[in-house]
Amino acid sequence: MNKKIWIGLGVVALVIFWGIGSRNSMATSDQEVKASWANVQSAYQRRSDLIPNLVKTVQGVANFEKSTLTAVIQARASATQMKLDAKDLSPENMQKYQAAQSSLGGALSRLMVVAENYPQLRATENFSELQAQLEGTENRIKEERDRFNGAVKNYNSLIVTFPNSLIASFSGFAEKGFFQAEAGSEKAPEVNFDEKK
Amino acid sequence: MSFRMGNSVRLIIGFLLVSLSFFGQEIPSKPSGYVLDQAGLLQANEVQQLEQKLRGYADSTSTQFAVVLVPTTGGSDPYDYAMAIGKTWGVGQKDKNNGVVILVSMDNRKIRIVTGRGIEDVLPDATCKRIINRILKPNFKRGDYYGGLDMATTEMMQRASGQFQSDGSADPEGIPVVFIIVLIFIIISIIKAYKNRGGGSGPGSRGGGMFFPPVFFGGGGFDRGGSSGGGGFDFGGFGGGDFGGGGAGGDF
Repeated sequence: MNKKIWIGLGVVALVIFWGIGSRNSMATSDQEVKASWANVQSAYQRRSDLIPNLVKTVQGVANFEKSTLTAVIQARASATQMKLDAKDLSPENMQKYQAAQSSLGGALSRLMVVAENYPQLRATENFSELQAQLEGTENRIKEERDRFNGAVKNYNSLIVTFPNSLIASFSGFAEKGFFQAEAGSEKAPEVNFDEKK
Repeated sequence: MSFRMGNSVRLIIGFLLVSLSFFGQEIPSKPSGYVLDQAGLLQANEVQQLEQKLRGYADSTSTQFAVVLVPTTGGSDPYDYAMAIGKTWGVGQKDKNNGVVILVSMDNRKIRIVTGRGIEDVLPDATCKRIINRILKPNFKRGDYYGGLDMATTEMMQRASGQFQSDGSADPEGIPVVFIIVLIFIIISIIKAYKNRGGGSGPGSRGGGMFFPPVFFGGGGFDRGGSSGGGGFDFGGFGGGDFGGGGAGGDF
């Protein structure tokens, strides 16, 4: 009788210790996701910061196609408005954030393709360096997104597996969203040359 | 719930594929130096000179350059290829991420520079692009691969100087001390030799004069051994630096 109580207490203690350990590893993993989210955001911010300079350079060229330029400016404005806190990285929110950013990415790459058709722009060192900077920011974004996805993968697989999932639902750790591979990102954007001028 | 599970399984499989394709990239295995010329663009002595320069810089500043010249990147993008090299070899120091990879691919005539996370500030993308446009491209077009790489690395070194310091494992302080001791020794023997010559007329003083040259050459040789010892230790290897996507590319 007495022995049984002790065994029971021992099991309860073990379960509690396991629960604490499991919760702690979730919290650590959650922190990693948040840290890599900050890097993702600063990579996107970097691209956003580059745009005014780009716009200024392109505007300097006589009769530059206005529509691609305004598309970039608008897409930048809506992407800047779309803020996503590290606390709310649900799959749905992630999808919205990604949509806003990728429409800016699309508008930018269209602008760069159009700009290629202006020899007076293409020949300048300033433009060539801007191009390199933009390419660099896109590469950084890709890099940070991959790292973020890696951190989310670790986190999600930690919280969805049983019996960790019990602890996760008690302590409010919810599944987080990934960056999806961009549909058609491999395809070069189409440009209608007849519209120009 | 089952849908969620299926989704995450698919995602995990996707990740495995992505990481496989990353590591499956056919990059050269880690070389035993900072210069790897698989394309045969440099003479043996040019490789050595460049190697010595990069090694000396890495020893004194801890910033590591890897110069990789390949006949082809095997169909993969030069950026991905250079990044795979940087990450897999671990160019730069682990805590500083101060590595630079300069990749030249011959079949598509591509140049690609990738910069470690820690060195992006001193070598921003626009600067890398300028170095490609102004230094590498014109030299490479003339067929002067060594000249281009030499000037480009010098330019980058100047920009990166002062940003990082070696942890002192190579002990750069040690060489001047040895040098000073040797100098003092030489001066003392010169004074002694002159005193002997001035004061003496017998064969003994001649002996002092004869004694002098071996000491001088001995001293010089010692000094030389000391300074090359600083840069001539076994290649310490790359330090495990990380890359975040910085750099620039171009054609030549």
